[in-house]
Amino acid sequence: MDALIANLSHGFSVAVSLSNLGLCFVGVVIGTLVGILPGVGPIATIAMLLPLTFNFDPTGALIMLAGIYYGAQYGGSTTAILINIPGEATSVVTVLDGHQMARQGRAGVALGTAALVSFFAGTVSTIVVAALGVPLTKLALLFGPAEYFSLMVMGLSFAVVLAQGSLLKAAAMILLGILLSTIGTDIETGEERLTFGFAELADGIDFVVLAMGFFGFAEILHNLENPETRDVVKGKIGRLLPNLQDIRMSIAPMLRGTGLGALLGILPGNGAVLGPFASYATEKKLSRTPERFGKGAIEGVAGPEAANNAGAQTAFIPLLTLGIPPNAVMALMVGAMTIHGIIPGPQVMTKSPDLFWGMIASMWIGNAFLLIINLPLIGIWVRLLHVPYRLMFSAILLFCSIGIYSINNDPSDVLLTALFGLIGYVFIKLGFEPAPALLGFVLGKLMEEKLRQALIISRGDFMTFVDNPVSAVLLLISVVVIILAVVPAIRKTKEEALSMS
Amino acid sequence: MQNLLGGLLMIAIAVIAVVQGSALSIGSLRHIGPGMVPMTLAAFLGLIGVVLILSWWRGRERVGTGRWPLRGPVFILGAAVVFGLTVRPLGLSVAGPLLVVIAAFASAETRWKEIIIFSVCMMLFCLGLFRYALTLPIPVAPWLIGY
Repeated sequence: MDALIANLSHGFSVAVSLSNLGLCFVGVVIGTLVGILPGVGPIATIAMLLPLTFNFDPTGALIMLAGIYYGAQYGGSTTAILINIPGEATSVVTVLDGHQMARQGRAGVALGTAALVSFFAGTVSTIVVAALGVPLTKLALLFGPAEYFSLMVMGLSFAVVLAQGSLLKAAAMILLGILLSTIGTDIETGEERLTFGFAELADGIDFVVLAMGFFGFAEILHNLENPETRDVVKGKIGRLLPNLQDIRMSIAPMLRGTGLGALLGILPGNGAVLGPFASYATEKKLSRTPERFGKGAIEGVAGPEAANNAGAQTAFIPLLTLGIPPNAVMALMVGAMTIHGIIPGPQVMTKSPDLFWGMIASMWIGNAFLLIINLPLIGIWVRLLHVPYRLMFSAILLFCSIGIYSINNDPSDVLLTALFGLIGYVFIKLGFEPAPALLGFVLGKLMEEKLRQALIISRGDFMTFVDNPVSAVLLLISVVVIILAVVPAIRKTKEEALSMS
Repeated sequence: MQNLLGGLLMIAIAVIAVVQGSALSIGSLRHIGPGMVPMTLAAFLGLIGVVLILSWWRGRERVGTGRWPLRGPVFILGAAVVFGLTVRPLGLSVAGPLLVVIAAFASAETRWKEIIIFSVCMMLFCLGLFRYALTLPIPVAPWLIGY
């Protein structure tokens, strides 16, 4: 406990420096701004804004990126409430009751409640991240190559199971992601692999190129073909602060939502996406008046929003302690860290404690900023919702292109991104969701390295993955979740839960 | 159709990977060579491709693939390609507006007067932000001012 307080106060001493505070603030503001723009999800937002951080030191850059991430998340909830469009998968549930509240003239209360419960959930999960940081990092340092490999297999199995649509296609996308990660110079022999003779590919594909192609570009193509029907709430936002009765109804859902979201967020393979669904289902089941849900019940906003934010934050745990991103957004954070010369993993905490604890402390500060800037500025955000997409898509394209060029000052990266944009577009058309590919790509290199190391240690004996108890348990879990997902009954519930989106 | 085309695409990717990686040594389990992981992945991808085609063949899935309008991909990706080709020789002052204008062809809602003004404003904004505020070394107008 003492160590926790000492670490957190060290983190705060880093995070409250004037420049870091400023970066966190700027990150949260532009994250919200871009996140609110219709048709820009968190992945595209972060990818697009990545070049803004190039000039700062790694700690500052990551604090800013984390701020962008919370801002984008919160922007998703705002669009869910005001225009009936979830900015991203985790605010799908907020649409159900949040938009109904808005139509009943209680948009302000819905937004205010979302902001307040998010702040509470953020505070709790900051402490959870800080508390689990040390023990999990210690555990991770005990992991040998075999355990690490199996851990990543487990993470990817979860990702397959939790992906939308066909399991087989999700698995294909993960394998493809890993295959793409093998492009470039082989770590051991220095031979060039799958480069098609292009010198540009000798260093491998840049992560941002893949992410922008699959998400930035392909998303624009998708949005142009499927114009959103925007159902912007007309009239006044109304009072922002919930009254006593609203608060009384929200407290229990908020507590339960925070718990569920924080717990599921720690799971590898995008458990965070389940939090809001689980919370909504729980509240509806526990409610004495379940018929109010879907018609503007404040519990249906408070619970899922708390779960959403808690999960968004505890998703950092696998990334910061194990170096394993649980979802595509966190995979993007890995890309960002790599650009700044930091290899995510258990060594980050010991090697750069300023960055590790500073970032954790800035999570809380970022949440506080969100609360401060969102409630009074909501009028400005509402106006942003009216920016026409016909202007936005070319601006997004320009930002993305400048960003990609700036990573290596290499124009061929822009061409490669256009190629991936095309591939991503074709995949979406054929029912393949590109997010798992990004995850596979980020984990691919590490997986191959650990696989090779493990087999060298075991002298080519594959049984090493099963003989080692930790590794065996992890692999067993992977097999079990995959089998469960194929069982028809469970598959149906999953589809129902995810088809709300 | 989705599964047929998706399956064929996976098989095509697998074949390309195998052909490209044919020179890489597979190695042994004791000492994995550079070719082992890519080839194994290609094999699995090919297998998934076959299963997808089989599921199409068994007629379980009758999902169409929707429309395939070319307008979006051609102009959006074309705009990015043109940007990539022009940013070095002509600089952001030309490549930026060019990208915005070419991309505008992708949408039926484009208003031309608006987009021309918008393209110049965006270019100036991006120059100010990326080149001057963030000092990223992106060329401005090499043909005019030399950088």
